[in-house]
Amino acid sequence: MDNRIISISGVFLTALAGTLLIFWWLGSGLQKDFFLFVPGLDGRPERVQVQEKTTPIGFYFENYQGIPSTLSGQWPRFRGPGYDNTSRDTVPLIDRFPAGGPEILYRIDLGEGHAAPAVSNGCIYILDYDEEKKGDALRCFSLDDGKEIWRRWYPVTVKRNHGMSRTVPAVTERYAVSIGPKCHVMCVDAHTGEFLWGIDLEKEYDATIPQWYTAQCPLIDNDIAVIAPAGKSLLIGVDCASGKIVWETPNSNAYKMSHSSIISATIDGVDMYVYAALGGISGIAARGSEQGKILWTTNAWDNAVIVPSPVILPDGRIFLTAGYGAGGMMIRVQKTEGQFKTEVLYKTKPREGLCCEQQTPVLYNGHLFGILPKDAGPLRTQFVCYHPDGQMIWSSGSGRQFGLGPYLLADGKFFILNDDGVLVIAQATLERYEELDRARILHGRDAWGPLALAGGRLLARDTRQLVCINLSAEKGK
Amino acid sequence: MEKNKMNRREFFKKGLQALFGLAIAGTTGFSLFKTSATETVWQIDPDICIQCGRCAENCVLSPSAVKCVHVYSICGYCDLCSGYLRTDPKELSTGAENRLCPAGAMTRRYVEEPYYEYVIDESLCIGCGKCVKGCSAFGNGSLFLQIRHDRCVNCNECSIARECPANAISRISSRNPYIMKGAKI
Repeated sequence: MDNRIISISGVFLTALAGTLLIFWWLGSGLQKDFFLFVPGLDGRPERVQVQEKTTPIGFYFENYQGIPSTLSGQWPRFRGPGYDNTSRDTVPLIDRFPAGGPEILYRIDLGEGHAAPAVSNGCIYILDYDEEKKGDALRCFSLDDGKEIWRRWYPVTVKRNHGMSRTVPAVTERYAVSIGPKCHVMCVDAHTGEFLWGIDLEKEYDATIPQWYTAQCPLIDNDIAVIAPAGKSLLIGVDCASGKIVWETPNSNAYKMSHSSIISATIDGVDMYVYAALGGISGIAARGSEQGKILWTTNAWDNAVIVPSPVILPDGRIFLTAGYGAGGMMIRVQKTEGQFKTEVLYKTKPREGLCCEQQTPVLYNGHLFGILPKDAGPLRTQFVCYHPDGQMIWSSGSGRQFGLGPYLLADGKFFILNDDGVLVIAQATLERYEELDRARILHGRDAWGPLALAGGRLLARDTRQLVCINLSAEKGK
Repeated sequence: MEKNKMNRREFFKKGLQALFGLAIAGTTGFSLFKTSATETVWQIDPDICIQCGRCAENCVLSPSAVKCVHVYSICGYCDLCSGYLRTDPKELSTGAENRLCPAGAMTRRYVEEPYYEYVIDESLCIGCGKCVKGCSAFGNGSLFLQIRHDRCVNCNECSIARECPANAISRISSRNPYIMKGAKI
């Protein structure tokens, strides 16, 4: 009994002493040196809406002396004709550079950035940023000699933030659609440059301009421009001829615009647009009465920054990847009892599996090829081949690193550009990394803009210059 | 004119004084030059450093003499700064849950859209290199670690050099005691 009283008294006295100690501490002022790290200490304004000049999108036009080339070959949009970064051209390409070095056809000076070209009907289209005039400029050049044909532009203030320009236009036989760094969408006649329509996604759709500006590349499907404002609407379909909004996808999950681009896919016989937004990834019906309706969505893939686009594999599998510590993920989308459902097959960290920071992996011969990011441990910035089940097949080796550079597949070879403008030709094989040749083609920095290949001519850029080199193995071409 | 004329005795006297003075000045200067040319201090090569975090734990001083330094000419002034914010932050804010620095040594200030300025408070920095790792992996690499010589006691055998797994720490001339990253832009 005595022991019980002693125990209770002990607990009571300890509690009392503790309480008194807390009150003493609160009253003593000792905690005055504590500093609370709470949001808002940096003076961030609520929302900065820069008042642009009232000049409408596409207001200015300039004609030049260039003439469209008669060369065949198309690279009409981001990731090429099949959205897969694989050339459909039949022109045989060189295995090694000539003894005197790569055959440089011409160089074009550009505003600072990473915007890359599309090629259609002998013309190069690029949404440049004109630092002198301070405006987005959709510029059309001849594929033959790089001479400018026309330029349509509009004023927009863009400050240097890891470059200014970022996107690749989408071009069809009739239309060219571009998205500027500050979410200005413009559609022009692909031949004449005549202005057709423009949309300011920030003003009209409450879109949020992503970190380091917009990198989303537009998509044109059956003369409908498919854009992801991820503001009031998740996706919109715009009739290229009239500029009328044909369909809108509600953004009920409040997803935000990422740097990723919309990719066309057909899963279980249903055509859809796949878009990886900040917040989640969705499949949106591309045809029929349900056009624009969300078929499936999942927030299993949600990262602060997403740059690469989804890679569509057979059997409803979609490979997703992002840098900044995110890693990779394989999901499967399947139609069951009339409803699409998603399932996460695996998820890996940058050190555990295929992960890409800026460029989208290439699917070739049932395998995924890409460049690992800087946080991938010993394999950092190496070119790698992975089986879609997550198993690594080979890597390029520690002496063969590429940074954040782009790559494409053509004529059974990978053409890989490193940060410093060195172009590597590597055999596309599942056996091992087999480098055929390498040569410097650019002398600037951060050669990150995606490559384009048409008619045996490769277009590559660093932050300041676009270069066209002849890769054709046919003499005289 | 005659008054200012120097005789032979005075000439030798003054000449010897001047020669003696020159000899002392020359010897002192040479000694100083020789000393500073051969004296060395410990320093981290930022191009070799792997930001393992051992500098924070192995220095004989507490907190470590290793501090994060920031070269502003390389910084991108990003809102989403991978040296300031944790990977996949909840939001881009100064809230403790989003910050990477365990010592609260890095602060940021809104400059103008879209730029933020990042400042290291060296009195709080413990040299763990977490911010450097984030900046090197995803940013421009404007943050890096250096041994600060106002704190370093220049031990004969540096305890962090001994523990460094990358052998990034070596002795360099005290005339150029820091290995600064150059402007890349």
